[in-house]
Amino acid sequence: MTIKPSILLVDDETAITDNLVPFLGRSGFSVTVASNGEEALQKIADQPPDLLVLDVLMPRLDGREVLRQLRQAGNWTPIILLTQVGEASERAMALEEGADDYLNKPFDPHELVARIRTVLRRARPGKPPLSAAARLACGRLSLDRTSHRVWLEQAELSLTPKSVMLLEYMMTHPDELVTRERLLDVVWGWDYPVGTRAVDTRVAELRKALDDDPSQPCYIETIPGQGYRFVGAVEVTP
Amino acid sequence: MKTWRWIVILAPGLLGIGLALSFFLSFDLRHDHIVYLRADLGTLSLLIGLGLSGIAALVFAVLAWAERIRLRASITAAEERRRFLRRLDHELKNPLTAIRAGLANLAESPSGETRREALASVEAQALRLSRLSSDLRKLAELEVRLVEHSPVDVPTLLRDAFNLAHELPGAAERHLNLSIPQAPWPLPNVRGDTDLLLLAIHNLLENALKFSRPGDTLELRAFEDGLDIVIEVADTGPGIPDEEQPHVWEELYRGEAGRGVPGSGLGLALVHAIAERHKGRVGLRSRLGQGTVFTLRLPAG
Repeated sequence: MTIKPSILLVDDETAITDNLVPFLGRSGFSVTVASNGEEALQKIADQPPDLLVLDVLMPRLDGREVLRQLRQAGNWTPIILLTQVGEASERAMALEEGADDYLNKPFDPHELVARIRTVLRRARPGKPPLSAAARLACGRLSLDRTSHRVWLEQAELSLTPKSVMLLEYMMTHPDELVTRERLLDVVWGWDYPVGTRAVDTRVAELRKALDDDPSQPCYIETIPGQGYRFVGAVEVTP
Repeated sequence: MKTWRWIVILAPGLLGIGLALSFFLSFDLRHDHIVYLRADLGTLSLLIGLGLSGIAALVFAVLAWAERIRLRASITAAEERRRFLRRLDHELKNPLTAIRAGLANLAESPSGETRREALASVEAQALRLSRLSSDLRKLAELEVRLVEHSPVDVPTLLRDAFNLAHELPGAAERHLNLSIPQAPWPLPNVRGDTDLLLLAIHNLLENALKFSRPGDTLELRAFEDGLDIVIEVADTGPGIPDEEQPHVWEELYRGEAGRGVPGSGLGLALVHAIAERHKGRVGLRSRLGQGTVFTLRLPAG
C-alpha cells in the first residue's frame, strides 16, 4: 500500500472545510486543516505537507501573504490557491507569486481533486514549479512572463493579451490535458456559454502565430472532445 | 431659502438705493455741476447695487438647482439599491427553499430512488446559485476590467452567434434567420472585444428564444446607420408590455412573462454593460401580440 499524500487545507470558513475534509479523505488524501495563515505556517513548520490548498481571503494572515512568505523562504511545497475575487489581477498574481495552480470559488469539489492530482504529479520536490519561473522556453519559442512578450527564434510575435495568457498557462502546465472550460477560466475568470468557441478561436490564432501544424503539433495538441495539451518540453531559462 | 441668503441678495440692492436717494435728495440748485455729479453718482450706485443683488440671486439659484439634482440622484441610487437587494433576496429564496426541502427529504427518506431524486434536485439548485454568483461577478467585473480594443469582423461575429444559437434549448422548434448585408459594400468593422460582443449577441438570442413560442420566427440582422453598426434580434413572440419595457435592462428584473423562466435574470443587464463598455447603446421596440426587436448599436471603425 502506498502512503497517502498529505494535504494541508487552509480556509477560515468551517462550512467549507467540514465538507471538503471527508471528501478529500475519500479521494485518497490525508488532510489536516488550518483556519488562518499563521496557523498554516505553524503547521507547515511542524510537519511539512505534500501540498497546500490555500484560501486567499482569510483573517490575520491572508493566503497571498502565506504564499509570499513560503516562496521567499525557498519553500516550494506545491500550492493551489482558492481565489474568490475572480479578477484578472488576482489570477495573474496567483501564478506570478509562485502558486502552482488556482481555483475560483465556488468550485466543483471533483475539480479540486483533479487539480490536486495533477499538481502532485507535476511537482518536482524541493524545486520551484514552472509557474514560478520568469522566462520559459520550448524549442524555438520563448516567453517572458514579466513583460508578457513572446519570441519565435529571434522575432518577437505580436499577440493579443488574451493569447499570451493562454500560452502562458499552457506552457506552465505542459503535458497536461487542459479543458476548454479551464482555459476559459484562465483567460476570463468566468465561464460563459459561448466561451468554448472563443477558446478555439484563440488557440487557432496562437497556432497560426507559432506556425504550429495542428496535425503534427510541436506545441499545442488538440485532444478531441476534451481540450488541449502542451506537448513540447518546457525549460526554465535565465 | 435661508434668511442669510436673502440678506446677501437684498443688502447690495438696498445699499445702492439708499446711496442713490441720499445723492438725489441733497440736490443743491445753486451749483449745477454738483447736481450733475450727484445725479450720476446716484444712478451709478443704484445700478451697481441692483446688479450685485441680481448676481447674488443668480448664484444662489444655480446652487439650489445643483443641490436638488444631487439629491434626486442620490434618492434614485438608494431606490435602485433597495430594488436590487429585494430582487436578489427573491432570487436566493427559491433555490434555498428547494435545497432545504431536498435536504429534509434526504434525511427522512429510506428508499434509494427518492434519495437520488432529492440529491439531484439539491445539486441543481446549488448549480443555479453558482451561476447567479458568477453572473453577478461578471457584471461587477465588466464595469472595471480593461476591454480589448481590436477590430472585430461583424459578419463573422454574427455567423458565430447564429451557429451557437442553434445549440440552445428551443432553437429546433423556431425559425431562425440570419441576414447580413452584402451590397453595396460589406459591413465595416467595429472595435472591441470579440468574446464580449459574442456574449452580448448570444444573450439577446437566448432571451428571444426563451420568450418566444414554438413556431415563432427569430431574425438576427445588422445594418449600417450613419457612423454606427446596428445589430438587431427580432422575434414574432408575444411582445413586452409598455410599462415593462424600460426595466428589462435592469439587474435581476423579471417581467410578468419572466416568472418561472430559468436564468439568472442578468442576461440583458450584461448586454447593457457590454454595450456601454463599447461606447454603444441598447434599445428595444415591441408590440403586444406582434413581437419584439432588441437593438445593439455600436460605433463603426
